[in-house]
Amino acid sequence: MTRPGFVLEVDERTPPLLVHEGEGFRLQRFPLGTRVIYPPDALPRIRDVRGAIRHALANPHDSEPLSELLKPGMKLTVAFDDISLPLPPMRSPDVRQLVLEEVIELAARKGVEDVKLLVANSLHRRMNADEIKHAVGERVFRSFYPNDLTNHDAEDGDNLTHFGTTDQGEDVEINKRAAESDLIVYVNINLVAMDGGHKSVPVGLASYRSVKPHHNVHTMLHSKSYMDPRPGHSAIHDSCARMGKVLKDAGVRIFTIETTLNNETFPEPFGFMNKREWEWSVKDQAVYLAAKKANDAAPPDLRHQVWMRLQSPSGVTGVNAGDTDAVHERTLARLHQQQLTEVDGQSDILVLGLPYIGPYNVNSIMNPILVHCLGLGYLFNMYRNKPVVRPGGAMIMFHPAPWEFHQVHHPSYVDFFEEVLSETTDPSTIESKYEQHYATDPWYIHLYRKSYAYHGVHPFYMWYWGAHALDYLGDVILVGGDPKTCARMGYRSASTFRDALEMAGETVGRSPSISYLHVPPLTMADVR
Amino acid sequence: MARSRKRTLAGELRDVAKGWRWGRRPVIPRAAEAHTPPPRRWTFPTDWARTPAARAAREVILSGVMKPIVWNETSPEVFGLDNLEGLRGPVMFISNHSSHLDATLIMTTLPQSWRDRTAVAAAKDYFFDVWWRSTFTALVYGGVPIERGGGERATDKVRELIRDGWSLVVFPEGTRSTDGWIQRFRHGTARLAIEMGMPVVPIAIVGAYAAMPKGRSWPRPGRPPVRVRYGRPLFPEEGETHQQLSLRMQQSVAELFDEDRTSWWDALGRAHRGQTPKLSGPAGPRWTRVWEGSRPVRRSGKPPTWR
Repeated sequence: MTRPGFVLEVDERTPPLLVHEGEGFRLQRFPLGTRVIYPPDALPRIRDVRGAIRHALANPHDSEPLSELLKPGMKLTVAFDDISLPLPPMRSPDVRQLVLEEVIELAARKGVEDVKLLVANSLHRRMNADEIKHAVGERVFRSFYPNDLTNHDAEDGDNLTHFGTTDQGEDVEINKRAAESDLIVYVNINLVAMDGGHKSVPVGLASYRSVKPHHNVHTMLHSKSYMDPRPGHSAIHDSCARMGKVLKDAGVRIFTIETTLNNETFPEPFGFMNKREWEWSVKDQAVYLAAKKANDAAPPDLRHQVWMRLQSPSGVTGVNAGDTDAVHERTLARLHQQQLTEVDGQSDILVLGLPYIGPYNVNSIMNPILVHCLGLGYLFNMYRNKPVVRPGGAMIMFHPAPWEFHQVHHPSYVDFFEEVLSETTDPSTIESKYEQHYATDPWYIHLYRKSYAYHGVHPFYMWYWGAHALDYLGDVILVGGDPKTCARMGYRSASTFRDALEMAGETVGRSPSISYLHVPPLTMADVR
Repeated sequence: MARSRKRTLAGELRDVAKGWRWGRRPVIPRAAEAHTPPPRRWTFPTDWARTPAARAAREVILSGVMKPIVWNETSPEVFGLDNLEGLRGPVMFISNHSSHLDATLIMTTLPQSWRDRTAVAAAKDYFFDVWWRSTFTALVYGGVPIERGGGERATDKVRELIRDGWSLVVFPEGTRSTDGWIQRFRHGTARLAIEMGMPVVPIAIVGAYAAMPKGRSWPRPGRPPVRVRYGRPLFPEEGETHQQLSLRMQQSVAELFDEDRTSWWDALGRAHRGQTPKLSGPAGPRWTRVWEGSRPVRRSGKPPTWR
């Protein structure tokens, strides 16, 4: 049986603990009594993944087997998760490739000819040919790209279908090809509890008009937490579920295939990053030291290239197929088994080491807004029931947050950072005053559709993801953060962890309780 | 751009060293003890330590380094090596065990022809727990790991060695004495001797506890006297049980102690009458046993006139 996660209380025997800080890492000593939240060990991987996929397709939950849904002459659209998953990108073969090959094999055997593949990139940047090839595999790529394997275009008005609104007045508009298909097969990788379910088709194949109803400040403030998609706990997931219902009522048939991965995040020789520090072998210690010194000494460009080339050796732990709700329920159970650690009560301070990668900087640069999204948006929300930190508490993150942007991938981010954040950091003000302009700017739309840029509105969403944390926390301190960047984002910068604790003392008192969420590998706190 | 302060290599080394496990067992944070699996069962390979090159290196280390150190820090005397004459290996050397000096004393007092084909059986959990100690034990003592209380499987490697003609140094008490007195002999040694049909040479090491008891890593100052007495070999007899052989082994070590305290003739007489003093120490509180056990051993001969 896999070792469950646990909470370590730092004592005098505890060695310095690994902390990620962007494209770097360090061993950091923590004050005695600090609680360190570790995830369960990696679940055993499925040895015969193809067999598991075939079994899932033949024995779906609340649905007929896929082979019975496939008929000659039908219109089939197969959509799959985009570049934002998994993290880091998975070593070949990507699980999407394995699932797609099985689905397409079935379709070919059943005589289905009209097959289109769609990258469900929503308002994210388009995936380039190499990225698509890595995700789907050479055989699928050669058979379908570029004509029948394309990125979804959320701004192509002629190729969107509007299904009306939900009972809450939310527009439901998705890709026309998918909407008109006899069957949509959605291939998902569920990295965190936020992913999957009705967030796949109603968001992944949606237009700006259809994303806006749930990607807004009000919804974010009422999503406590994003990582807890149970009805009533996350407004964004409730909204997606309503949209899913509209699609279902309109006769859109979706066959969902969801997969889960284990916690083997880093490949060798960086395997020490997956381990608990006191279990490091002499080899692990030596590799740490060598990697740390080489990483610190490397020129920034080279360092960036090395990190971006890391591919995770993650193993597949579950494959479920069938009706979206029935599948997602099982997916979440498996995910919790891998990530959930029970934590007793809240702390005054939450400490996070932000890794080099998030969903929106794969093969790109983690700019300050993405740092905000990763820290205050995603990792702060890695809890169930209640946050790890108390209301009004402080959050200390490790990241250099350099003032750097990828000019091709994140053009609207540059302007958002320069024009919007220099005026205000308040999400509501930003939303009401600036969002519409950025979302409809023809140049950003052009770059989104024809280049490889994230949609003009995307930086706004990144800022909104952090709205709940901004509203909840009393202080945000970035250890090693660029002071100018921090000042622009409303954070405080500290040069050392000790300084950060000193600064946080102004908010939470002189003897604060501290919790360190030890990520990655991904950990989710079940706070009781 | 303000990056976090870069650490020097020395600083990094210090950080890593805090988690470095040179010690006997890994230090596990208390809160993690219940969540940490026991270490994997793995046996340090020692075959390399019996190659000609390693044996040559061992001879150099024992004769050129260990013996000068021990002979400089203590005053060893050796008796009874004539008992080995005419004997052919493999044999089992058994001794009382109260100090880390014991194995060194035996290996450095054995004649070179014996030493070259003798290995020391060492507790796996202590001497083979970390790589550097394992390497040291295997190279310097030709050590082979034995699992304490490990049953048949624990001695598989030892059997293999004996079949290859290697003699063995074994401490049948299983661990060093904490009070200087002899503990009960474990039966595994006698059982192995009977099974392999090999003679057992008893050895009494007197004064090692006083010189360097458990807890010390270097002998006491003043070159304390230590005496190593080799006894007559014991041959397992037809139909003898391991309990009986084990008792004979204890008795012969006790006789050697008696011989050291008095004389060979007196000890023989007492042994004949069944009056050899027991080596389990005086009854009573622990301090009395430690007190008596650590009583300085008399020096042989006349004391030097300049003291």
